[in-house]
Amino acid sequence: MITENFNSKQLAQDYDEQSPAAIIKLALGSFDKIAISFSGAEDVVLVDIATKINPGVKVFSLDTGRLHAETYRFIEQVRAHYNIEIDVLSPDTKAVQDLVRSKGLYSFYKDGHKECCSIRKVIPLRRHLAGLDAWITGQRKDQSPDTRNAVPVVEKDPAFSSAEKNFYKFNPLANWTSAQVWEYIRSNDVPFNALHEQGFSSIGCEPCTRPVLPNQHEREGRWWWEESTQKECGLHVADQKK
Amino acid sequence: MKITFVKKIKVDGSPCRKCAEVQSRLEKDGHIDKIDRTVIADERDNNSEGMQLAKQYEVDRAPFFIVENDDSDPLIYTVYFKLVNEILSGKTNEEDAARDILDSNDLDFI
Repeated sequence: MITENFNSKQLAQDYDEQSPAAIIKLALGSFDKIAISFSGAEDVVLVDIATKINPGVKVFSLDTGRLHAETYRFIEQVRAHYNIEIDVLSPDTKAVQDLVRSKGLYSFYKDGHKECCSIRKVIPLRRHLAGLDAWITGQRKDQSPDTRNAVPVVEKDPAFSSAEKNFYKFNPLANWTSAQVWEYIRSNDVPFNALHEQGFSSIGCEPCTRPVLPNQHEREGRWWWEESTQKECGLHVADQKK
Repeated sequence: MKITFVKKIKVDGSPCRKCAEVQSRLEKDGHIDKIDRTVIADERDNNSEGMQLAKQYEVDRAPFFIVENDDSDPLIYTVYFKLVNEILSGKTNEEDAARDILDSNDLDFI
């Protein structure tokens, strides 16, 4: 296992045009402490590919407590279909209770989604990743073109690295389009979330996700009420030719 | 050790909300005196010092910090709580840390 001197920048170049299967093979061959983040959506493709390489691959899902019933059923379907264990991670009870007690059940419509997401997603995610050396995600460039043009197939993940330990993220689907993902799902009889048949492209928590029309970008179905502030932290190079 | 704090001015000329929040936390946490320089990354001017530093260190987020030591390569921090924990010998609570991670990273896919 290559847990030291892992040259993610070089490998990102070397594997940029490789298939998702090749990237997942690299990931699973490089790290013992590695797991797939499965959101209960079309990233099921990762599970399908990875279980063909290693049937014992570790998979986890974040149960925010606010997912659609269809998503809970789908997670169970995937568990049974692939005969795998899925670590379903729950948020800290006290943190959720404190938030709901002070702000109610729908504070995100007023205060933005990040406070709620921090408690229901990021804290459990951070705790789980602390026991790993790398994770595999379904992040794709075409999901949010403005902010994900530079999604490499493998990268050092600064959010979860520490002074003591580098942490890595594999994005095997980075260069696939949504159409390629769906072609794979249909060609390989991969199970999928029933919400996709109801117009949902991007699937998250029930109050924060809505169906989109065929001509709308999938991100328009998430946190639509706060669209203008989504990318505020990015640094954007101005077009100075004007 | 020298710490540079790079703040952003947005394309429309308005200040970056997150940068202001981080500055306020630096002050509230008693760390502001440990910042040696504050530099502006003006999105309207690619030649502004902050934009040049972002390019030099391949940073695409703001705010960020550059920590320079005489005997090693500069360290870049885009997440405030990590700077506090690893450089400023301070502590942050878990919820603030999670919020910093969410503010500084695209985690919409999880």
